[in-house]
Amino acid sequence: MIEQYLLAASAGAVATAMLALILHKLHSARTLARFQSETNGRIHTLTQTNAQQNALIDQGQQEIQKLESSIAQLHDDLAKQSKIAGEDRAAMAALVEDKENFLDHARRIAAEASRLKSLAATFERWHEQMISLMTQNQDMHAKNHELSSIVKHVVIVSLNASIEAARAGNAGRGFAVVAGEVRALAARSEELSRSYRDSLHRNDLTTTATFQDIQAGGKMITASLSSVEVLADQFQARLH
Amino acid sequence: MISSNAQASIEGILLKAARSRLPRHPDDACEIVPLAQAHDDARPEANVIILTISSILFRLLLVFHFDDDVHTRDYFAKETGDVSLQDMLLEICNLCCGAVNQDLLPYFRDLGMSTPYVLSARCLPYLEGLKPDLLSSYAITINGSVQLAATVCVCAHAPIDFVADITAVEETSGELELF
Repeated sequence: MIEQYLLAASAGAVATAMLALILHKLHSARTLARFQSETNGRIHTLTQTNAQQNALIDQGQQEIQKLESSIAQLHDDLAKQSKIAGEDRAAMAALVEDKENFLDHARRIAAEASRLKSLAATFERWHEQMISLMTQNQDMHAKNHELSSIVKHVVIVSLNASIEAARAGNAGRGFAVVAGEVRALAARSEELSRSYRDSLHRNDLTTTATFQDIQAGGKMITASLSSVEVLADQFQARLH
Repeated sequence: MISSNAQASIEGILLKAARSRLPRHPDDACEIVPLAQAHDDARPEANVIILTISSILFRLLLVFHFDDDVHTRDYFAKETGDVSLQDMLLEICNLCCGAVNQDLLPYFRDLGMSTPYVLSARCLPYLEGLKPDLLSSYAITINGSVQLAATVCVCAHAPIDFVADITAVEETSGELELF
C-alpha cells in the first residue's frame, strides 16, 4: 500500500513536474517571443533611425559641400575685393599725389600771374617813352615853325630885292636874277617846311595811337593776369 | 570786318556816353549830329584829346574836339577853381571813354584803356592812315552854344559782330580813373 502510495505520489510528482516544465517552457517561449518581437521592433526603429541619420548625414555632407563651395567663393570674392581695395588704395595715393601736384601748379600759376602783373610797369615805361618822343616832336614842330617864319622872311626879302633890282635898271639885272633864284629857293623851302609839318603831324598821330595801344594793351593784360591769379587762388582754396 | 550791327552798336555806345558824360548837368541840352569827316579845315589850330581802348580783336580811338573859346571855357571851367580848362577836359574825356569801355565790357572780356593825350587837330586827316574799319564823327552842341565834336576810329584785327543793349539805365556817377 505504501508502495502504491509512493508510486502514486511519484507519478503525481512527475506529472506535476512535467506540467510545471511544460508551463515553464510555454512561459519561456512566450517571453522569448515577446522579447523577439520587442527586439525586432527596436531593430526596426533603430533601422529607421539609422536611415534618417544617414539621410541627415547625406544632407549635412551636401550642406558642408555647399558651405565649402561658398567659402571658396567667399575666398575668391575676398581676394578680388582685396585686389580692388589695393587698386583703390593705389588710385587714392595717386589722387593725393595729383592733388598735391595740382595744388603746386595752382600755387605756381598764381605766383606767375602775380609776377607777370609787373609787366604793367614795362608798358608804362614804353608809354613814358612816348611822352619823350612826343616832346621831341614838339621841339621839331617848333623848329619847323621857326624855319617857316625864316622862309617867309626870305620871300619878303627876295621880293624887296627884286623891287630894288628893278629900280636899278640895267645895273640891277643880274641882281634881279639872283633875287628871283632866292625867291624860288624860298618857295621850295616853304613847300618842304609844309610837307615836314604834315609829316610831323602824321608822326604825332601814329606815335600816340601806337603807344596808347601799348598802354591800353598793357592794362588789358594786367587785368587778365589778375583774373588768372584769382582763378588760381580759388582753385588752390578748393584743393585745400 | 566790322558788321553793320557792330558799327551801329559802337556808335550807339559812343553817343550814349557823350550824352551822359559831356554835359556838366543832366538837364543840359545835348544835340548830336553826324559829320562827314573827322577834321574841320576851318579850325586847323584847334587841339583834340585822344584816348584808346584796346582789346584782342580791335583798337578803338576816341577823339574829342574842343574849341578854346569863351563858351567852352564858361561851360567847363568857370566853377573849377584852379583846374585849367585842358585838365578839366582831359578828365571829362577820360570819364566819357570810361563809359564807352564799360559798355563794351559785356561783349569783349579783355579790354584796357589808355590815358588821354592832347594832339593838334592837324593830325586828324591821318586817322585814315591807321586803315580804320570804322571812322565816324559827330558834332555835339551843348545848350545851343558849346560846340564840340567826337570821332570814333576802330581798327579791327578780326571780324567783329555784336548787338549792344544801349537801353540800360545810365549811371549818373562814373568811375574816375586817375591819370
